[in-house]
Amino acid sequence: MNPWIHIPQLLAAGITMGAIYALVALGFVIIVRASQILNFAQGEFVMLGGVVTFFFITGAGLPYPLAALAAVLAVIVIGFLLHLLVVYPLRKASVLILIMATVGASIVISNTSALLFGTLPKALPPFSGDLPLELGGIRIVPQNLWVLGATFLLFFVLYFLSHRTLVGKAMEASSTDPLGADLSGIARNFMVFLAFGVSAGVGAIAGVLVTPIFYTSYNAGTLLGLKGFIAAVVGGWGKNSGAVLGGFVLGVVESTSIAFIPAGYKDAVAFVVLLLILYFRPKGILGSPYIDSRRW
Amino acid sequence: MKLGKKCVVLAMCLSLLFLFSCSQKPKEGSPYTIGVNLELTGPWAEVTKTVKQVLIMEVEKINAMGGVDGHPLELVIEDNGFDQGRAAAIMTKFTQNKKIPVVLGPWEDPLQGTTRAIAEREGITNIIFCPSNPMVRGLKQKWSFNIAQSDIIVSRKLADLCLARGYKTILVFPGNWPLALSLADYFKQFGEEKGLKVIIAKETHAPSDIDMTPQLIKLKPIIEKEKVDAFYASTGGPPGPIIVKNMRALGIKTPVIGTHAFGFGFVIALGGAAMEGVEFGAGKPVVPYQLDEGDPVRPIVTDLDKRMKERYGQGLDQIAGHAHDAIWLIYDALKRCKGEVTRAAFRNALEDTTEFVACHGIYNYSPTDHDGLSKEDMVFIRIEDGKFKRLKF
Repeated sequence: MNPWIHIPQLLAAGITMGAIYALVALGFVIIVRASQILNFAQGEFVMLGGVVTFFFITGAGLPYPLAALAAVLAVIVIGFLLHLLVVYPLRKASVLILIMATVGASIVISNTSALLFGTLPKALPPFSGDLPLELGGIRIVPQNLWVLGATFLLFFVLYFLSHRTLVGKAMEASSTDPLGADLSGIARNFMVFLAFGVSAGVGAIAGVLVTPIFYTSYNAGTLLGLKGFIAAVVGGWGKNSGAVLGGFVLGVVESTSIAFIPAGYKDAVAFVVLLLILYFRPKGILGSPYIDSRRW
Repeated sequence: MKLGKKCVVLAMCLSLLFLFSCSQKPKEGSPYTIGVNLELTGPWAEVTKTVKQVLIMEVEKINAMGGVDGHPLELVIEDNGFDQGRAAAIMTKFTQNKKIPVVLGPWEDPLQGTTRAIAEREGITNIIFCPSNPMVRGLKQKWSFNIAQSDIIVSRKLADLCLARGYKTILVFPGNWPLALSLADYFKQFGEEKGLKVIIAKETHAPSDIDMTPQLIKLKPIIEKEKVDAFYASTGGPPGPIIVKNMRALGIKTPVIGTHAFGFGFVIALGGAAMEGVEFGAGKPVVPYQLDEGDPVRPIVTDLDKRMKERYGQGLDQIAGHAHDAIWLIYDALKRCKGEVTRAAFRNALEDTTEFVACHGIYNYSPTDHDGLSKEDMVFIRIEDGKFKRLKF
């Protein structure tokens, strides 16, 4: 059978997945831009966004929008706590140790979620019905458009934050030139603290948006976090635009590859893309301010 | 001096052996200990919690009734964390405790191969909750028994459902794990025996797949070309509702049939409105109050449902049914040992189980059948208005 006939619909599916990866990747980049820390608990923020919303709806009886808002706020607080309890005490340690600490934190968060909210998978209802829209033979669920819209909205909000506000610039300065930031009187630890909050918020929003499409459970964060990380590296480590582009590239390549190879290899495709990019263009598609490709 | 030491050691060994041989036969009123090896942490934690709750509740009931001829039952519950190594270690630990004639668990398929091998080597009965699969059945192991409906009877029941519904062509979309694949193969075999056309898709899915849209996009042309009457999702756990949800989002309106793993409340919760009209064969505990009045299973199922709601605030499901059946099968076999409870006597008694009525139906074990249940112990279910509704043909 001609594999090309599937491409339009696969493309639509890939763009949705891409938007999700982009949202997760943005979360990684926010923290990296403030501190060069790779936060492996990023996927857990996404998981918590969905699981906590579910809990607020079924456990506390809040209406859906309020529950989603409360969940995002709760996860932001968890992001702040992650900084205060894990990252700040280790501020004098090397970045490598901090990264390992975030791996530990991610295990703690996912297992705490299992203890508190149970291990059965949880789903949320879609924001605006689940009747698919048909556009020229391609079917799209409304929730996919929500994810797509949110990705671009968050991208522009973050762009504004980092390029047009003093706080955003101070955040970036504390990562690119710590000494310079100190000399200019920037409270670097406070900037990292803020970055964890923003990153947790973005992750939680992603979680609220994607749970109606798939489902979430206490261990859903790991794979999403990994894919988001790959997206951020592919697009250009440390760039918001790179994270978004990387997300879409990854999503589309993963999805369209299925037209030609069995679906069982879908997850492997992501890693092949990563290897190819790292091999031929280690600083990512859009280039990275942190990686000097001359060193390779 | 040296000889004296040796003598002391020898004497100690002999006395230990003597003690062991004495403890083989429990004294009057001493408890019968049952080892329980469960995935109490990890992805199956919530499911095995129900198992644990029911086991504790039923053991209390048995002991309140005076135990097994005056011997109370005692559970030793250990957590294997869904880890092969830990499951094996716990199993080995239980085999070393001579007071334990039978080990219950594990819950999941990936662990049963290991514990079965240990059971076979050490000569201890192992009752496993999950269904057997062709691989382990092929080994013809003497000491292992399964509780859940096997892939064979589930597939037979589903073929009956297709005949009753008048489906002619069925497309199977299997998971990539052994049980899902063998369900697909048996369904093809039994379906074709009855004149159905069964196509097994080349595309599979993994238990961790959260989006089946890509696979379904590739299957859509096959559904249209072959004029498929029904789509069989040979799977379990979250992939089931995900498949149905993704199918409906792609505008595929073909009726969906599923496995008995669709008979859980969380499946409807995950799939939402998309799950309407999905049909499958499942165990009787799915619909306690829709069973026939004359069904011998009905009073047992409804009684357990009431007791569970009273104590844990949560009704009966298939899992609770499996736990209930396991412990009462043990009770029944112990009773038939007539006080002479050794590991071998217990195994033989369990294998001799005939016409034992419990939650999931009527168990008959024999030297050739260690799966217990039959096709007649299952009922047809349809998801309607977000609830399970029994179908009768």
